[in-house]
Amino acid sequence: MAVDITDKAFISGLIDKEKRAQRQGGRWLVIPILVLTIAYLTPLYYLFVTVFKTTQEYATKGVLELPEGLAPIVDNAVQAWTIANLGQAAMNSFSYALIGGALAVAFAAAAAYGMTRLHLIGSNGWFMLIFTGTLFPFQMYLVPLLFGYQRVGLINTWFGMLLVYVAICIPFPLLVLRNSFSAITREVDEAARIEGASEWRVFTSMIVPNAMGPLIALFLLQFTFIWNDLLFSSILANGIEVRSIMVALQSLQGTYSTLGPNVVITATLISSIPTVLLFIALRKYFMAGLQLGTK
Amino acid sequence: MPVTASALISPEILKDARRRERRVAWQQTRTAWLFIAPAVTMVTLFLLLPVVFNVILSFTKWQKFTGLDQFAGFNNYARLFRVPYFSEALGNTAIWVVGAVAFPLAVGLGLALLLRNIPFQETFKSLFFLPRVLAPTAVGAIWYYVYAPTGVLNSAVSGITGTPFDFGWLFDPATITGSVIVTFVWQTVGITMVLLLLGLAAIPKDPVEAARVDGASNFQIFRHIVWPLLLPTVLVVTILNVAAGFTTFDLLWVMASSFPGKRTLSLAVYMYYESFSNGAWAYGSAVAVVLGAMVITVSALLAVVQARVSKNIR
Repeated sequence: MAVDITDKAFISGLIDKEKRAQRQGGRWLVIPILVLTIAYLTPLYYLFVTVFKTTQEYATKGVLELPEGLAPIVDNAVQAWTIANLGQAAMNSFSYALIGGALAVAFAAAAAYGMTRLHLIGSNGWFMLIFTGTLFPFQMYLVPLLFGYQRVGLINTWFGMLLVYVAICIPFPLLVLRNSFSAITREVDEAARIEGASEWRVFTSMIVPNAMGPLIALFLLQFTFIWNDLLFSSILANGIEVRSIMVALQSLQGTYSTLGPNVVITATLISSIPTVLLFIALRKYFMAGLQLGTK
Repeated sequence: MPVTASALISPEILKDARRRERRVAWQQTRTAWLFIAPAVTMVTLFLLLPVVFNVILSFTKWQKFTGLDQFAGFNNYARLFRVPYFSEALGNTAIWVVGAVAFPLAVGLGLALLLRNIPFQETFKSLFFLPRVLAPTAVGAIWYYVYAPTGVLNSAVSGITGTPFDFGWLFDPATITGSVIVTFVWQTVGITMVLLLLGLAAIPKDPVEAARVDGASNFQIFRHIVWPLLLPTVLVVTILNVAAGFTTFDLLWVMASSFPGKRTLSLAVYMYYESFSNGAWAYGSAVAVVLGAMVITVSALLAVVQARVSKNIR
């Protein structure tokens, strides 16, 4: 078949046809995708019907059946809230996540500034030292931290728990911010320095505003990590005044639990609200944060 | 410093300039120390020292309610190989690592290819990503009831087959590991899919179009053009999931809360159980050291492979 490949109209016609075919193929795909999505979301559907059931209703009805009314959620929430002391636990976790996440990202940003914008002798060595903190599994920190915390009296304290979260959340943001700060043109801060700005000034008013995207994304990731943590808080701070929301949630669940699934599931819903809301509100930053992790 | 001008400048001035430069460098280094000090202090005190201490502890006899006074040599490590729980936990960890790598990759790639060219892609992407935002503890609690004898899965099975079905998925040693891995995949497949979609989007269109014009089948295009270019992304995802496979704890601990043999479900659980449920702190440290050595070795090997593959593509 002789085809004039220099004929632009012919070529673009071909491409259009191809694209249309692809889109039409895509339209067909929507059906299997919808089926998959529904199957995939079944556990979440189960969550939403269960929180509106009473314990008796849960026992007698099918697990995926719709509830009779919406009212039981109030009683479920009150039960979960009072038995597990969820209010206190939520406040604890919120303060750990907010303060811990912010401090960790701030410390990582300052360190990244020192490593990329200032003449730091042995910069790579310092970086490797902190980067080492991403290599070890968390299981290697647990027993020594428990030992040290018992010795210095930080066990079961709010401050002690916060310190661990800050430390854990520094290495990864540093890794990312070192790259982001390197990408900011040097002319910006050189000019400010010639004008006589202090390094602190250059850091806070030149570099930080230029890296707001990654900073927010990193803070979100660390906030979510701390809020979701069970491992560290179950060992270092399981007292009722300092324990995290996940430790409280876990105390409701399991063999020895006498509560109905409807109460436990309501507690999981309550404990997931902050991170889910953050995700919905700041989805763009979350997705950006993921990409940061792979570079 | 302009080198061409150096011939015109006297050595004295040159030496002076060098000294000044060195002084400025030191000044900057000292300022930089202030900037890195908080991060370095925190990481050293709370992460690196504990790791060193963990290794030391693993050679002692320290337990709950006893002093830290006796060294045990390699006794803790020797015990690992005598205790059947450890080898069982090791075997299950191997299953976890393979499962946590293979299934998210296979399902995630399938989803990514399905979702690549469809309307409302962003909505579907977000829906599949949502479970990742939930805490593993919360996900474990939900799935605990999904797998319960009267739970969602069994109701679905009896609904389809028409006969009552009340199998305890999380009570049987034969099914518990696979069941928890399914939950793990449910929670993490979204992130794998998003990363693979990014990798797919970065593949240039020209070679694909050219191959299609030449009459290559979809499978041929995938096998010979898409897959090699996607390989670096696949390896990044693999590195992330290998680490998760070795260290997943929350999900197992919550979902296995009714399983009597839960200590054998993985090394991460075994370490926690021995250290904190049994109070065998030194022995738990030894388990942690073994786990750490394995994670670091496997991750390092994968990182080398990844670096080589990325270089070949560029």
